[in-house]
Amino acid sequence: MNLLRENTIKSLKNNKIENHLGIKIQEICFINKINLRINPENLEYMKACSKILNTILPTKPNTFVKNGNLKIIWLSPDEWLITNDIDNDNLFAKLRNEVGDLEASVTDISENRTIVRISGEKIYKLLSKFLVLDLEKNLPTKSTCAQTLFVKVPILLLRNHSDNQLPEVDLFLIKSHANYVYNLIVDGTENLDF
Amino acid sequence: MFLINCPYCGEREQVEFNCGGEAHIVRPKNPPDLSDDQWADYLFMRKNIKGVQFERWNHSNGCRRWFNVVRNTATDEILKIYNMGETAPNINGDDPKTPSGEPNIGSGNISSTFEKK
Repeated sequence: MNLLRENTIKSLKNNKIENHLGIKIQEICFINKINLRINPENLEYMKACSKILNTILPTKPNTFVKNGNLKIIWLSPDEWLITNDIDNDNLFAKLRNEVGDLEASVTDISENRTIVRISGEKIYKLLSKFLVLDLEKNLPTKSTCAQTLFVKVPILLLRNHSDNQLPEVDLFLIKSHANYVYNLIVDGTENLDF
Repeated sequence: MFLINCPYCGEREQVEFNCGGEAHIVRPKNPPDLSDDQWADYLFMRKNIKGVQFERWNHSNGCRRWFNVVRNTATDEILKIYNMGETAPNINGDDPKTPSGEPNIGSGNISSTFEKK
């Protein structure tokens, strides 16, 4: 029996990048994710977290900050998602020790979601087939994010590129929805010349 | 379908939200002293106005925050959005505009609107 950790989308094994008519699709798996909830008015906790993370928690809605391999994503006024590519300093334990079980919650949600990265000139056209979101308004600049519905499933979008770069967006998907979304994206890459 | 201006995320489609029913219903301070009818009234009875209604909404597929909305249920026009815990704004609910000018309390009813004519 193979007990190794496997990625969610079968055709995107081993960090394979698929190219569908100019849209590149890649699954970024095994990223550590921590859900952090603290009261933003409690400056003591905010400072403690910022010290561990080496950067401030973004308080501007629908933005994220990047610090090395760490991303801190605004989810709601008192909730953040922290992603960490390589967990070499045991961030989760540190956060838990610092603010743990007081008026805060630190939860490891690594296995809850997977990330699908799509890039290409026409990804906004592609996404607009499935989203009700006004992408121009809600993902206006680099380091903005938005939570919305992808057809019927909840999704978190992260804009990684600035205006003069090739568009690249990360989709945070609940694992059981990942194949559904992937199939729709592959289908949607056709007829993008409207 | 209409747009709702979430106090945190900005203008988003209605499908991202859930309506949580009527706002400003206060839990009675002394539930044991209430009669069954009064308790049922608190638990179940909700207004269903064709016109201006005060509602609670939740941005369930966004920031998951609750807030209050004053909405004209006949036209889906949103008159005001304000935070939880704030007192209800004084918005006049008389004679809301209806899309094709039909009477605002339902065409099947004999209303003051008909009697005037």
